[in-house]
Amino acid sequence: MIALLRLIVFGFLFLSVIYLSLSWYSRSIRREKLEDSWAEDNPGIEDSPERDSYIAEGMARYESGLRKKLIWLVYIVPTFLVIGILFVTNSN
Amino acid sequence: MRYVLTSIKVIILILFAGLLHYVLPQHDVVRITGTEVIRMDFSSANRLFYAQADSGNNELTTRDLRLINTQKRKTFLLGFIPRQAEEVMVYRNEDTGWIWPPYFKFDSSDLQAEAEANISPPGAEKWAVVTHYGWRNRFFTIYPNAIGVRPVSGPDVRIIPWFNIFFFVFVIIAALTLRGMWRQFRERNIDPALEDISDATGAASTRARGTFSRWFGRR
Repeated sequence: MIALLRLIVFGFLFLSVIYLSLSWYSRSIRREKLEDSWAEDNPGIEDSPERDSYIAEGMARYESGLRKKLIWLVYIVPTFLVIGILFVTNSN
Repeated sequence: MRYVLTSIKVIILILFAGLLHYVLPQHDVVRITGTEVIRMDFSSANRLFYAQADSGNNELTTRDLRLINTQKRKTFLLGFIPRQAEEVMVYRNEDTGWIWPPYFKFDSSDLQAEAEANISPPGAEKWAVVTHYGWRNRFFTIYPNAIGVRPVSGPDVRIIPWFNIFFFVFVIIAALTLRGMWRQFRERNIDPALEDISDATGAASTRARGTFSRWFGRR
């Protein structure tokens, strides 16, 4: 039982590191894309309130979008993988 | 200095490959010739290469160990090229439970019974595929751990290592993601910080920038 507890605790910590890094990565990519598309549509305007609000709007759309929710799969897929391996190994 | 770095990289690569070779599942085509239980008195030299007492039991320094004795078909290249020659192979049969490596095996007794059901006397050979991980080492008395036994009709079965295929595809995807992540981090967080440093401190920063770009610079 202690071993199971250890697996859950350390597995959770490990997956949390992956979750946080992927979240940061995905958000950063999205922000960069917004900046690029702004630069393409409005060449030469680099520091303006319109640009800030455009990017903030795009990020707000990302925060409520599907792509961000998909990162939760980092926790879900390994859990089901463990259950699957458990089943395959121990079935006759 | 470059030779030292290269050697360290090569050593890390070899250790990683060895770890994967130990931990990933492999398939052997065997004739099971018997099973037995021996008492093991582990030493610090070989304890690392054994799992644990049966799930739910106490872990003591001495315990019984199930073994499966087989005649194994030899192979070349990690099992990719089959051969006609045979050799003796002995597998241990231990619960890995919730510990490393993550096979989550709790059915050692059942597996032992399955192995016994497939014992073949000389003249009436029965063949089986044993899935296992681990190494056999005579010098330290180390056995590979059998994970599953599957009876097959003949010794010339085609085995497709599905798990390993998916595993290596996953490793490649993970490595590419990590690389992308690192590049993004450098581009968005480190490079702008370096620009700030050089803007703010002017001439004094030249030296610092040299150090930083040696650490993080693009090659």
